[in-house]
Amino acid sequence: MPKLSRPDYYDLTRDMNWRLTYVSEKEAFPPELAGDDYGIPPAEWWKWDEPYKLTYREYMQNQAEKDTMSYSVKSAIARSHLFDQVDAGWKAAIAAHYGAIAIPEYQASFGEARMARFGRAAAWRNMATFGTLDETRHGQIQLFFPHELLGKNPQFDWAHKAFHTNEWGAIAARHLFDDMFTANHALGTAIQLTFTFETGFTNLQFLGMAADAMHVGDVEFGALISSIQTDEARHAQQGEPTLKILVRNGKKAEAQRLVDVMFWRSWRIFCLLTGLSMDYYTPLEHRSMSFKEFMEEWIIKQFMDQFRDLGMDTPWYWNTFIDELDWYHHGLHLGVWFWRPTVWWNPDAGVGPAERDWLEAKYPGWNDTWGKRWDVITENARKGEITKTLPQTLPIICNLCQIPIITPANPGRQQELDPYVTEYGGRRYLFCSEPCKWIFDQNPGRYAGHKTVVDRFLAGEIQPPTLEGALAYMGGPHLVGGRDADDFAWARDPVLAGTR
Amino acid sequence: MTSSSPSTRQQRRQRSWSLYTEQRKPSEYEIVTHRLNYHFRRAPAPFELDPDMPLNRWYLRYREGSPFQVDDWEGFRDPARLTYRAYIQRQRERELYLDNLIDEFERRDHFALLKPDWVCFLEHLYLPSRFAGHVLQMVSLYVSQMAPSSYITVAFHFQGADEMRRVQRSAYVAKALSLAHYQELADSQKTRAIWETTPAWQPARELLEKLLIAYDWGEAFTALALVTKPVYDAFFNEQLGTLARLNGDDLLALMADDFALDQKRHQDTARALVLYALERKPELRTTLNGWVAKWAPAAHRAVEGLATFFSWAPHPLEKKAVVQAVGQRLQDFLKECQLSL
Repeated sequence: MPKLSRPDYYDLTRDMNWRLTYVSEKEAFPPELAGDDYGIPPAEWWKWDEPYKLTYREYMQNQAEKDTMSYSVKSAIARSHLFDQVDAGWKAAIAAHYGAIAIPEYQASFGEARMARFGRAAAWRNMATFGTLDETRHGQIQLFFPHELLGKNPQFDWAHKAFHTNEWGAIAARHLFDDMFTANHALGTAIQLTFTFETGFTNLQFLGMAADAMHVGDVEFGALISSIQTDEARHAQQGEPTLKILVRNGKKAEAQRLVDVMFWRSWRIFCLLTGLSMDYYTPLEHRSMSFKEFMEEWIIKQFMDQFRDLGMDTPWYWNTFIDELDWYHHGLHLGVWFWRPTVWWNPDAGVGPAERDWLEAKYPGWNDTWGKRWDVITENARKGEITKTLPQTLPIICNLCQIPIITPANPGRQQELDPYVTEYGGRRYLFCSEPCKWIFDQNPGRYAGHKTVVDRFLAGEIQPPTLEGALAYMGGPHLVGGRDADDFAWARDPVLAGTR
Repeated sequence: MTSSSPSTRQQRRQRSWSLYTEQRKPSEYEIVTHRLNYHFRRAPAPFELDPDMPLNRWYLRYREGSPFQVDDWEGFRDPARLTYRAYIQRQRERELYLDNLIDEFERRDHFALLKPDWVCFLEHLYLPSRFAGHVLQMVSLYVSQMAPSSYITVAFHFQGADEMRRVQRSAYVAKALSLAHYQELADSQKTRAIWETTPAWQPARELLEKLLIAYDWGEAFTALALVTKPVYDAFFNEQLGTLARLNGDDLLALMADDFALDQKRHQDTARALVLYALERKPELRTTLNGWVAKWAPAAHRAVEGLATFFSWAPHPLEKKAVVQAVGQRLQDFLKECQLSL
């Protein structure tokens, strides 16, 4: 082994900062790509210091070991018929996951490369170079695994195809991830991707799903997800040193705004991916925690502690967020299930009798609110009137998050029933919530020229202007997915039929 | 709205991605690399935000708007066909090799036994090269994020990491030398000062700083991969390796030989990309040659500047011969790419 260890020479691997002479700082670090420098002098940025240090040599060693393990689990599984035996609800969860996440992981390598080129400190650029490799890994591994499942289920084609389509969930994911990293500057990416999204939320998605996967017996998926999360913990560390520099130099408000925007947006997409999966798709006997419990542990407790340690505040809309923990993802699930021909997986209704008891225990009052809607659906399903369990119209979609607008609409809830509205440039924009409207109003130029899929429909861009035309425009998700995961077996359950 | 009936649903057993339309069964490399840059040539703009927002405008101008275009980039394959895991396996082997090399030379007290004049030479040419190498890392990752096809993106992601590899080994050497000779060798301020102020470095620094702002994706690729790197690598891997052997620094020579393996892979990628493009659109030859002609003089001046240091070595190489040899390597490489100066 070489005599010197990392600490001996590490500072020389990251001291490549200097004053540009032949080109200007502004030319080499244009604000659109680097982010505003906020008048912070270059030498201040050069103090950027990563908590978790490593060299190229260490990276190669560590990662080689990880992949050997992941891919050997995979080949063992391929020889078994594990996937065939897995619960239909779990299949929904992973089909949704791969479709929504595989390509964005690869695209995150663009966000990392953005920081590797336009980050204002060599140390940051080095960490981002590792991050670029990590996200390449994550994209590749989450393409390779579903590709092997194509023969069993064409839904897994959406792991590759989704981002090429205008399926509404793909639009929502693209809008979010382009805002967060693909079309973001380096500074924004560090705070919004690595800090807000990765440190805060992906812990939730990945650790939660890994735990559930192990319970379900999907060893392959569980091992894959855990392995990815170890990389994540490392490259997510880019956010903290970046935040520290902003806060030290009197730019806490700017940092706060970046976090507030992306915390809300992350919450929205997590309800869609993780909320539905944890509380409705994962088989009951394998659920470790409810979505709300998980959010309370990982976000409200752990992430916010870290957040406050950095001198930041909870986002201004905190009470709105806390309130939503009780109802938002339930509404989203109902909507996604109801509009199921528009998604590429087969949503598990997750409302059999035992499931409803669990939902009531975790969310007291569920049966009196959401339960009453499901009662109607259940009755129609039991009578074989499936057409009544499918919609005849399109929902309103939020002009920011691109997710259908959901409100609790319960007696006694002090909630706005109407969408939030902004008039801008002669056009009317509708939003699902005060924070989504605020995000738009903060920076309308970033969002205003974009149309939701329903805007496009109403503008005549989708032809024919029918529901079939809309499904074709979305890339035909109903051709592979869109059915109830259990084919309504839960509705024919005699317990459910008899007592409600 | 009705749920589709079984007869309209996809029944055919699917062999690969529906967007993979080649006849052959895809390799693992293709499965995980094919057609991932969904935003290239997307209408109305690459990204799912306001079409006029800054990054949309940037990509439309510098990528979709670049003169370096063919109908379809998805037929390109990097000759090495590296997936992430193949890259990691390969470089982990190379890093183990370098570790063993350093270990072996350290046992013989290699750094302490280097002659003072040679160390002084290293201080002025080799140590500050970590700044230069870092720029190559940055520009590589610019090319990768601007590339139209994921096949190109991934190859340049790996290339950026390779540059970081070379830089980090030189940082190790800097520290090892400082412990055996004098403290200044590990002083960042001193090394930076050489990079910033020593006249012989300035043409190279000027070239590299200007390379940072070549934002058109085709020009960035050309300036980096067809001009700067062939010249830089010929100088720092080949010529410096030769000089090191002449001066009894076999460790540096062997390290340079190892970095030359990365260099070969980078050149293979660049050559393959040019030939792919020229096959589809021969008139691109004019565009590429134009950029080569624009950047080559600065690259030539950079080498002329740096070759000055070669006379500091106890056993020197003649500056003129070095410059000539590097120039010839560039010419030869361009010829392989069916291009010319």
